[in-house]
Amino acid sequence: MRIPTESAAVGTDTPLAELPALLLPAYGQTWAMVGIVMVLVISLGGAMGVALYNTDRHGLFPQARIHAVLSWVANMGRSLPFLVLMAAIIPFTKWVTGTTIGIAAAVVPMTLAGIPFFARLVQNALNDLPRENLAVGLVTGGSPTQVISTTQIREALPALASAITLNTISMIEYSAIAGTIGAGGIGYLAVTYGYQRFDMNVMLATIVVLILTVQIVQFLGDRIARALARP
Amino acid sequence: MIEIRDLHKHYDTAEGRISVLRGIDLQVPSRSITAVVGPSGAGKSTLSHCISLLEKPSNGQILVDGKDLSALSGKALRAERRAIGTIFQNSALLRRMTVAENIALPLRNLGVVHHQMQDRVAELLDRVGLADKANAYPGQLSGGQRQRVGIARALALRPRLLLSDESTSGLDPESTAQVLELLDSLRSDLGLAIILITHEMDVVRHVADQVAQLDHGRIAEYGQVRELVSSPVSQTGAKLLPLRPEPLPVGFDYELAVAYRQRNVDPTWLTRLAVEHNARVALLGGSVESHHEGTLGRVRLGVAGLDAAEVISLLDSWGLTATVRDGWEPAETERIEVAV
Repeated sequence: MRIPTESAAVGTDTPLAELPALLLPAYGQTWAMVGIVMVLVISLGGAMGVALYNTDRHGLFPQARIHAVLSWVANMGRSLPFLVLMAAIIPFTKWVTGTTIGIAAAVVPMTLAGIPFFARLVQNALNDLPRENLAVGLVTGGSPTQVISTTQIREALPALASAITLNTISMIEYSAIAGTIGAGGIGYLAVTYGYQRFDMNVMLATIVVLILTVQIVQFLGDRIARALARP
Repeated sequence: MIEIRDLHKHYDTAEGRISVLRGIDLQVPSRSITAVVGPSGAGKSTLSHCISLLEKPSNGQILVDGKDLSALSGKALRAERRAIGTIFQNSALLRRMTVAENIALPLRNLGVVHHQMQDRVAELLDRVGLADKANAYPGQLSGGQRQRVGIARALALRPRLLLSDESTSGLDPESTAQVLELLDSLRSDLGLAIILITHEMDVVRHVADQVAQLDHGRIAEYGQVRELVSSPVSQTGAKLLPLRPEPLPVGFDYELAVAYRQRNVDPTWLTRLAVEHNARVALLGGSVESHHEGTLGRVRLGVAGLDAAEVISLLDSWGLTATVRDGWEPAETERIEVAV
């Protein structure tokens, strides 16, 4: 009987020429996950951030109790490590998507982790605006929607662009973790090939791809934030 | 005409009720500027928030041309807000909007059609002398220019009352002068009633017609700037034209506090007193300044060689009010507030 040795394992490295065929579909899956999640996170987390800010003392509808509840929910959502959250909500994920593996199953915990994170980023971005903005919105006759859109969201756009960048990078990271439950994507590749089969080429390739992706996302995010800023 | 009637504002806190405004009555006629002054904590900013309808008073009314706006809320409040234009400290322009967009904000909120909005903005830019800055961002303007944009924004909906909440604090003297000149011309050209909430006595002296001194949530003193300055007992008057006179030198009989009562006092009155009436006069302190309604002045004299009653009646006939000074007057030594 042949006992596999380390050198034998190294021998299973995927040839470099075959890497693109392996990486590209996985990369597409990663972006599909991150894309779906970010759409949900920006809309739901953004709304939660606006609500957090406006129920606070200096907001449009100061409501101490509602603010406290929202704040508690946001903290709770961020207090669990992603891996723990993902495992803990498997029944919920199954109830929502009907499955516990694959992209759909990964989107649920990623969204749940992303919403409170993004909500806090939005709240911080709005907190950095001058306090008078609210008064300006009101004395110029703005309705609540107009006040929020013109004096809050529009004014905070550069900071919001940075918040989206930060959140996207976190979600890329989470998608890799979600790979461990068979969500597909780059993370799944790294786990099944790099970790379980000692496939050094795939391991290195996934690392390079992840580093480059994060660098590019950060670079683009910074560019957009700068373009949105005014003198 | 803007009328504030028996305005009260209190806040209920865990430590009990805090009364910030305790019955403010104020009338601001059209074409006039009323300054509200007072130390920090007197209730100036709460009053300002109530007048700009950002806070609801606990009691009392804010009447604009007879209509009480303080009781409104929601859509009705938004519709009536246009009667009141507010200018903020540090102009409070939205940083990501151009000058033109900032000025257009009230028009946009109201849903004014695009070409009408453009016409109105151009007119307002012209009015505040910034026609060439329409596409600039607030960050590219000086403090004084930003404040003029703030004024244009406040004027966009043709309000009847302009509320200026510390709009010149933090501006350099030249910019302050420009802003005040603009407010002064708006009062007469547009017939606006203007309320200036300020801690700067210079500002009050230059443009205000009336002044209300706020203290512990009440109006401690209220009157025409001229009257207060020419009153020997008015504390507000003493703050408006503060003096730190020399002590009465040896050899003089008494000290006189003199105030300009009439608008056109003969500027050579001091010479006349000395030359025509043989009084020995020592000038101990004085402040004489121009006001848009004529000269304002407060002077402290040491006099010898002429009976006090005679001098007082002479000065009275020249449009000056004089009283013999003896002892300490609290208003003179009180710290004049310079910062909030």
